[in-house]
Amino acid sequence: MHIVVCMKQVPRDNSVKINADLSINAEGIEQIMNLFDEYAVEEALQWNEKLGGKVTVLSLGPDEWKDQIRRALAMGATDSLLLNDPSFAKLDVLGAAKAVAAAIKKLGDVDLVIAGRNSTDDESGAFGPALARALGWAQLTYVGKFLDISDSAKKIVVERHLEEQIETVEAGLPVVATVVKDINEPRYPSLLRIKKVAKVEIPTWGAADLGVSADGTAASITARVPPPPRPKGELVEGADGAEKVRKLVDKLMENQVI
Amino acid sequence: MSNEIWVLIEKARQGENIAAISRELLGKGRQLADASGAPLAALVLGAGVGALAERAFAYGADKAYVVDDPALAQYTTDGFVGAAAALAQKYQPQLVLTGASFQMRDFSGALAAELGVGLAADATNLAIDGDQISATRPSHGGNVVNTLVFGAARPAVVSVRKQSFAEAAEQAGRTGEVLSEPLPAVAIRTKVTNVAPKQGAVNLADASIIVSGGRGLGNAENYFKLIPPLAESVGGAYGASRAVVDAGWVPYEHQVGQTGKTVSPKLYVACGISGAIQHLAGMRTSRTIVAINKDPEAPIFRVASYGVVGDVNELLPLLTNEIKKRASH
Ligand SMILES: Cc1cc2nc3c(=O)[nH]c(=O)nc-3n(C[C@H](O)[C@H](O)[C@H](O)COP(=O)(O)OP(=O)(O)OC[C@H]3O[C@@H](n4cnc5c(N)ncnc54)[C@H](O)[C@@H]3O)c2cc1C
Ligand SMILES: Nc1ncnc2c1ncn2[C@@H]1O[C@H](COP(=O)(O)O)[C@@H](O)[C@H]1O
Repeated sequence: MHIVVCMKQVPRDNSVKINADLSINAEGIEQIMNLFDEYAVEEALQWNEKLGGKVTVLSLGPDEWKDQIRRALAMGATDSLLLNDPSFAKLDVLGAAKAVAAAIKKLGDVDLVIAGRNSTDDESGAFGPALARALGWAQLTYVGKFLDISDSAKKIVVERHLEEQIETVEAGLPVVATVVKDINEPRYPSLLRIKKVAKVEIPTWGAADLGVSADGTAASITARVPPPPRPKGELVEGADGAEKVRKLVDKLMENQVI
Repeated sequence: MSNEIWVLIEKARQGENIAAISRELLGKGRQLADASGAPLAALVLGAGVGALAERAFAYGADKAYVVDDPALAQYTTDGFVGAAAALAQKYQPQLVLTGASFQMRDFSGALAAELGVGLAADATNLAIDGDQISATRPSHGGNVVNTLVFGAARPAVVSVRKQSFAEAAEQAGRTGEVLSEPLPAVAIRTKVTNVAPKQGAVNLADASIIVSGGRGLGNAENYFKLIPPLAESVGGAYGASRAVVDAGWVPYEHQVGQTGKTVSPKLYVACGISGAIQHLAGMRTSRTIVAINKDPEAPIFRVASYGVVGDVNELLPLLTNEIKKRASH
């Protein structure tokens, strides 16, 4: 069984700035593995322990993303792949998914791709569906539990955790799955493993290796601004708690909030 | 290409009406249609769903494309995307609007990719200006607001966050044209074998009032003693910061923030929550924010419409009582 985990490196928090060319400036903010992707890595490792085979962590991003690729390797991923090309900077999520699909086809023997439900920076949540379409595979999004993965029968059964219901869904492999939070407890890489993978060579493919060109995006960002400031608030004061609360309720009722 | 605007219609969870999000999309769709002289069409997919088309007419649709087939009784990506993509290729609308629930994000992402067109996911606004379609969508936990302009390919696909637009008003007796279409031959590669309601599910995104508690509540027992009763007194749902979800006080369903739910209620009451940037990401677009915190320097006060400095243990029971008292007068 060959499982590929798609992983994005993101800023720990989103106190980012906007550059003049509308790119995002996350300077000075610690970079982490996208939270949902950490669950994806852990899930892949657990099934790999049961089924054997390979777990490849795959990112399409700049060289710096090797940091989190190494973290996934230290957690236990057996293989890694970075897709990096100057032209990729222009890709939107649908374009990124197409390039990743080309890489997965080139790998050839992949049974299952696991990605996160969304990234915490771009938050499109469209990568998984777009990747599935580009590969011509079925998609299973918002997976909260992998009930069964059978290598011999090439079958998968999952629970999709939607807002108000849980769907049990079966499909034949290969598929693209995306996972929600809390489906497992991601392991911490040991110091020993961190050391061990520190010098591992991470294979890198560019646009030419994939035979893809970063043709224009289907929608382009023409403006990026911080959110409008919230209207100035007021402090509700009073001699004691009871007075504060009375005044607060007055204000909420006056403004027909309650 | 036609200039039609399409709205994917969802059924309300209870009753026979279309869902609130569909009424919101028809409201916005009607405005856009009137401004650009375009027809507004409902896209109705499912099994035994003919009545939804009539409901969509009552909320402003001019016509409805209906694919009514037992194979669409359950949502599957292949079934719904297959049906919608075939219709879109045949009738060439300029815009397809959907909600932004998990199921609709599954659908809209796949539809855009299937058609090879642009997508704005979880948008909060959109505009048509002549040939140009643009959408506004927040990213980076609401710290960045992006304007996306779609390229020439049509339709533009936009999934829209709940409560971004006012619902269309119902016009009894309003009718429209129904176009029934067969389900094209698509391979449905996933099989839904069971659908179970989520235990204790709360759909925070639906709630118009949310009362959330954070670590300042001290412990789970105190959280349950103070937060749900206050929520109940105002007819709201209760939420939480990640700190208390991680501590196991309440299930993940209740988490508001960057890695939880994004909510935009009429009123959000943050109790004993510091206001970390990841929490603000999930609630800063709420219309009115009340913050109750004993630390006057807590960052939550920077986004609060009304701030009360004090101890939750003292203030919350007083607040619940005060609201109950006023309600009974
Ligand atoms: C990748 C990532 C994703 C994250 N995602 C989320 C997310 O989705 N949602 C989220 O909420 N957080 C998220 N966080 C965590 C976030 O950074 C904060 O740690 C968390 O929001 C803090 O929760 P809190 O405000 O309840 O607790 P604290 O920060 O501990 O704040 C408790 C507050 O209660 C006040 N207080 C204490 N006692 C009382 C009292 N008796 N009366 C009144 N006030 C009192 C204190 O003054 C303090 O302000 C994320 C973090 C990371 C790194
Ligand atoms: N550039 C990328 N490289 C690898 N995986 C990605 C990339 N972008 C998105 N993903 C995956 O897709 C998921 C959803 O991302 P998004 O569509 O940006 O919200 C992430 O959690 C990742 O698993």
